[in-house]
Amino acid sequence: MGMDRREFIKSCSLVAVMGLLFGCRKIPLEELAGDLPSLKRFEDEVKLALSQAKKSLDLVKIPTPGALKIPGASTLNRFGMAIDLDSCDGCGKCILACNLENNVPLVPNEDAARGRFMHWVDMRGSAPFMCAHCGNAPCERVCPTGAANHTPDGLSAMMYKRCTGSRFCGANCPVQARKFNFNDAQKLGLARQFNREVPLRDKGVMEKCSLCLHRLQNDRLKFKTSLTVGETAEEWRGRGVKTACAEACPKNAIIFGNWLDEKSPLVKLTKNRVLYAPRELADLDPSVVFMRGRR
Amino acid sequence: MRREKEKKSRLFKWAAICFAVVFSFFLADFLMGEPRVPERAVGSIPFDHALHGDSIGLDCAACHTGSRASANAFMPSKADCMDCHRLPLTENPGIETLDSVLAKADDRPWSHKRHLPDHVVFHHGVHAAAGVACADCHGRGYMQNRYGAELFNMQSCLKCHRGETFKEKGFKPAATYCAACHR
Ligand code: SF4
Ligand code: SF4
Repeated sequence: MGMDRREFIKSCSLVAVMGLLFGCRKIPLEELAGDLPSLKRFEDEVKLALSQAKKSLDLVKIPTPGALKIPGASTLNRFGMAIDLDSCDGCGKCILACNLENNVPLVPNEDAARGRFMHWVDMRGSAPFMCAHCGNAPCERVCPTGAANHTPDGLSAMMYKRCTGSRFCGANCPVQARKFNFNDAQKLGLARQFNREVPLRDKGVMEKCSLCLHRLQNDRLKFKTSLTVGETAEEWRGRGVKTACAEACPKNAIIFGNWLDEKSPLVKLTKNRVLYAPRELADLDPSVVFMRGRR
Repeated sequence: MRREKEKKSRLFKWAAICFAVVFSFFLADFLMGEPRVPERAVGSIPFDHALHGDSIGLDCAACHTGSRASANAFMPSKADCMDCHRLPLTENPGIETLDSVLAKADDRPWSHKRHLPDHVVFHHGVHAAAGVACADCHGRGYMQNRYGAELFNMQSCLKCHRGETFKEKGFKPAATYCAACHR
């Protein structure tokens, strides 16, 4: 036999080292097997999207959003966000955070070259823009199946399994906040479920910013099951929830909160600011707004 | 002769390295990878709900530890069984068979894969907190899954959420908007 004791010990330690290195790897096994897109591709796609930013929105002043004016609306909660244009430097970290949080798929190269991404957050000018969750949403009114609908607490929600892909909502959104799954991302190996809390969408389904619906749902369920004496479930105000984009912003330029809750950071931090919305949405009672300057 | 031997030894060295690489992959996966969960390993332990639950004053949550507070009810681990079965509990002649089966059983003798699709939110704890008893959905007399798997659909949820079923129980009407339970 050619292997002496020295050789044998060498290969034994090799096994140990290799196993250790492999165990310490950051990439999950599925990615090594090659059937899932790598995190790097998602990062690169965001960089590409940032390099071809769209033209800025035409912003007009709006009053502070109040309670929703739809039947069955909650008088306690109306969730929304404010994007601070004075702090935002357009780094795009919110886009990647949203993509990973919501399992937003990649697009094929042809689409990417034409700037047709599935990203729920777009850079318009140098500020992030996502669905404004209009209180009087024109997109929902034209949905033939009721897949696009409003929650009592101010989210314009998408029920993917109800969506038949008419794309009427996309046509009726004045700011193109909606993204349509023209491709079967899962079959093309462009989708990856980073977050188990959010289902992957099929081909032929419309999607858009959900205001991190799953985070709110989970917090509500947690609240309801951990009641302390004296509180009732109606008093859930979504305190402590943050959307993924707001969490990711290094400048704290995206503020998530509850427009109807005095204690919410959203109400506190927008108090002395001037609020803006894209001109097209100004009359539609948007929940996600921009802010700039001081009053 | 010497050279041939050297060649052979080099070949062997490469074989050893190849083996090392492959082996380390499998080893790492064995150590770090997620264990495969069997769909439902029934039958290894002769379990009867009728001998446990109400008949001996045991709450469902004693074994299904998540049923009062978590989203998932969970299946008991062997340790949960052993909490009681460390002692011979009855005179029943079957208990000896049980003891020997228990001794041989896996750490997690039961596992249950949820039938719930991932766009549906269901939280056991919230329903328990609202005063819904386990038996309201799962049936009394421990006929399991009265509302389980194929017997259960969105209509069953909605009827109760709208207050059409279980009138005698006086549950508060619950949310019926899509995003209350879907994502
Ligand atoms: S921004 Fe567009 S997609 Fe979002 S609610 Fe308003 S109209 Fe609908
Ligand atoms: S609120 Fe959530 S879904 Fe909407 S843009 Fe931010 S991270 Fe994406």
